[in-house]
Amino acid sequence: MSVLDFVVLISSMLGIAIYGIWRTRGRRDLSAYLKGGHTPWFAIGLSVMATQASAITFLSTPGQGYLGGLAFVQVYFGVPVALIIIAIFFLPAFRRLNVFTAYEYLGRRFDSKTRLLGAALFLLQRGLGAGLTIYAPAIVLTTVFGWPLNLTIISSGLLVIIYTVAGGNDAVTVTQKYQLGVIFAGMLTASCLLLAKLPAGLTCTDSLTLAGGFQKLNAVNFSTDVHERYTLWSGLLGGTFLMLSYFGADQSQVQRYLSGASLREDRLGLMFNAVCKIPMQFCILLLGVLMFLFYQFAPAPLFFNPAASQLLAHNVTGEKLRAYENGFAAAHARTRQQLENWLQARHSGNQIAAGKAFAAAAVARQQGEKIRFAAHQEILASKSATTANDADYVFITFILQQLPHGVIGMLVAAFFAATFSSKAAELNALSSSTTIDIYRHLIRRDASDAECVAVSKRFTVFWGLVAISFALCAHLAENLIQAVNILGSIFYGVMLGLFVVAFFVRHVGGTAVFWAALAAQALVFVLYARLAISYLWYPLIGCAACVVFSLLLQSMFLLGNRNTREFTADGNR
Amino acid sequence: MNCKKRPFPVDDPAPESAATGLPLLRSWKAVYLFVLASFVLWVALLIALTKLFS
Repeated sequence: MSVLDFVVLISSMLGIAIYGIWRTRGRRDLSAYLKGGHTPWFAIGLSVMATQASAITFLSTPGQGYLGGLAFVQVYFGVPVALIIIAIFFLPAFRRLNVFTAYEYLGRRFDSKTRLLGAALFLLQRGLGAGLTIYAPAIVLTTVFGWPLNLTIISSGLLVIIYTVAGGNDAVTVTQKYQLGVIFAGMLTASCLLLAKLPAGLTCTDSLTLAGGFQKLNAVNFSTDVHERYTLWSGLLGGTFLMLSYFGADQSQVQRYLSGASLREDRLGLMFNAVCKIPMQFCILLLGVLMFLFYQFAPAPLFFNPAASQLLAHNVTGEKLRAYENGFAAAHARTRQQLENWLQARHSGNQIAAGKAFAAAAVARQQGEKIRFAAHQEILASKSATTANDADYVFITFILQQLPHGVIGMLVAAFFAATFSSKAAELNALSSSTTIDIYRHLIRRDASDAECVAVSKRFTVFWGLVAISFALCAHLAENLIQAVNILGSIFYGVMLGLFVVAFFVRHVGGTAVFWAALAAQALVFVLYARLAISYLWYPLIGCAACVVFSLLLQSMFLLGNRNTREFTADGNR
Repeated sequence: MNCKKRPFPVDDPAPESAATGLPLLRSWKAVYLFVLASFVLWVALLIALTKLFS
């Protein structure tokens, strides 16, 4: 990175953080600090979007598109239906009871122990995952730039803590707007420059045909095999439950949309996401597919991850390393030559020659992939965790090697902006839940607003330091990213189950749902240990088990329940 | 001030009948139908993309 890149990076990041602190200075009222002010729907929509889109979304998703094509978009098929359900049933109930946290609602609908269970599940899974949103982009950026990892983690973590503590929920919402602006500007610039760098003769139809020929445009998979991770059905069914859990039962999102000036603003903010989420993810994945096309005509490295290349050089002899590199380069050159022949034949209308050239290109590409696979096996044999997903490094490698200075700084700023926006929302939600559901509920019931604000700030610092500590130790755990993602999907189903029973099953009381949730969580743990199904199914399983067990326990033991009409979906009408 | 004593309830009692304030989509039912229609359109386009170019 040049001086210009650093100027763009530091000025945009510091500028947004200072603006957030200045705009929200002097917030003393608990409601204003934790819930925010009168946020309009557009700001809520952007805030919800920015909270979900962490830096790894913008680093990894183009890489997913590069390697696996558009199939990943199916994960988001559950978003529209889930957000409509939340807008109709969840939002009015949260609004009517004027709650700070989603778990406060569980306390009013059921009892204290169910509220604490919901808050504990959230704090456990979100607290464990807190370090990841800092660690994941930091490891990619430091590997590529050679920056000190610990310094990157600590400095970015402290900056987020400072402006989240200073301004509370409003600071998060205010800064997220501009952070998302930086992200979109960066991605749009990268897309335009990438399009300009594609070979001159490659038309839009040629690009689509080529990408489709290499199976990169398989956006919808109708397979009913539950072991396949991304299918239409896992996206529609599992994805809906995953998104319902995330948007309806995770305080980091609930806090975003409860900051609206009214129910109308909250709902429109959610509907904005319901409409825009799939196109947004499609565009990011398409950027990856375009990068795939670009690297068919431009020199591509054996590995995009520099650490993997270094490890390979360390593990094999110089002669073997050269054999891998030369073999891959030769296969890549043959692929490129055949694709140029394909393009020429296609434009001259010779379909037979075009078909032959494309088949030869596919064979040459397969040979290159075989060499890459063999080299990857050499790295795996060394039992090192450094080989992590090569997809994470594709986009950043393209940015550094192909884009001009200034734009590089803007895109690195975009990655940090994404880290900050999702991290700040997480810290804010963790501190809100700890203050409202634990401190004010269990420790000091008569705490004043000023005391709650002060305590909330301390909890923000506490969770921020937990996140930084976890990120600093993250390298000790192998496959940490995958572990934390799976952890989230394991807990989400039961968390959602608590809310589904609360809204839709009027006669079930707190004791039944509390024990049902514990039993359902145990069942999910057992199934996870024994089955090898896609993680997208666990939220559905956990939620269904919680609801069924609640009904069984309530009918078997006729446990008491109070009048719940005003707390359930009935109360919305 | 004791922070337990907050106003309750706060929003209007019949949220589904409230106006959306949008020029063409005046009811919430229309908004939800618009969202679902745009979702169906996107999935149809993605299926078409898959079928046409694979």
